[in-house]
Amino acid sequence: MRTGAVPSTAYHDVPYTRGGTVERSEVGALVRSAVDGDAAAWKAIVEGLGPLVWSVVRAHRLSDADAHEVYQTVWFRFAQHLGRIREPEKAASWLASTARHECLKVHRNARRLMLTDDPQLLDRVSEDDTPEQSLLETEAAREQSERVRRLWQEFEELGERCRQLLRVLIASPPPSYQEVSAALDIAVGSIGPLRQRCLRRLRARLEARGAA
Amino acid sequence: MNDDDAFDEEFDELVDFEGGALEEELRQAAGVLDPLPPALLQVAIDAYALHDLDARVAELTFDSLVDAIPVRGVTDAPRMLTFSAGEVMLDVEVTARGLMGQVLPPQPARIEVLGGPGSTVPLTADDMGRFSADTAPSGPFALRLHTGEDVVVTEWLRA
Repeated sequence: MRTGAVPSTAYHDVPYTRGGTVERSEVGALVRSAVDGDAAAWKAIVEGLGPLVWSVVRAHRLSDADAHEVYQTVWFRFAQHLGRIREPEKAASWLASTARHECLKVHRNARRLMLTDDPQLLDRVSEDDTPEQSLLETEAAREQSERVRRLWQEFEELGERCRQLLRVLIASPPPSYQEVSAALDIAVGSIGPLRQRCLRRLRARLEARGAA
Repeated sequence: MNDDDAFDEEFDELVDFEGGALEEELRQAAGVLDPLPPALLQVAIDAYALHDLDARVAELTFDSLVDAIPVRGVTDAPRMLTFSAGEVMLDVEVTARGLMGQVLPPQPARIEVLGGPGSTVPLTADDMGRFSADTAPSGPFALRLHTGEDVVVTEWLRA
């Protein structure tokens, strides 16, 4: 709000590139419109950035119930702070960092209360099938489904740091490095090399599995 | 910002060469196996109703979860929270049995416990500013406080 306003004409001809540049360049203007009472602008923000918030929450390995509540808390608080966000164009980073803080609180609370449902033990892939998954099965796309399943399983077993980084990076549309940095509290400069390394490791695991 | 973007894109070319396709495949797998639940998308859309221009936001200034040292062996310590908006302060204690609170400076107030868009439970703070509820909030909650002509809402939190 205090930084230079995004010219309203700027986002009509911005081509889509990685980082969800269309939304990200629009975000400041959308936040301002939402502050002024434009519900459609709010909806566009939620649709554009909801998947990022979900990815950040998922990266932190919470139980499903906790994940849902954190997701809601983040958006409730964002709605509440809407007119007070200092840099509306960085709303995505605000959301990512708020999500991270709330996830860390859940971890603290869980340790204190010594809850036993250890999300680490969750094997999401072999748990209940999502509707999408069932669809894959019935469409005789068994082979493709199996490939997705293997990929996801290797990803889940990648080790905490890589799993976390990749879970945020594979939000759709892909987040910018500034947002990843806000989501995981890691330096922007270290994201590229880490990302390469984690993808290399994932590929190696898939190849080892294929060879076995 | 632009420099950073250019920097990102340079990296992307490298990643596209080495692992971009794999990352994209993983993105699609996440879309199938771990998508954002549609119900959550809708809740966030409905949350626009929580954009409240009339109320001042009371910021969380103390949270026992973050600011207190855990006592060894105590597994059900109450969650102690303090919110401040200018001169108005609100101390809140949440346990499994319910919620207790104190408005400072002590004064009577009408309080609503918000549980999300459209969910409110009314409470009253007595002349000493004390209030309580028999049920603890489950999930995200906020308190809206009416004192005289002033309206204050606490930051949304997860109990």
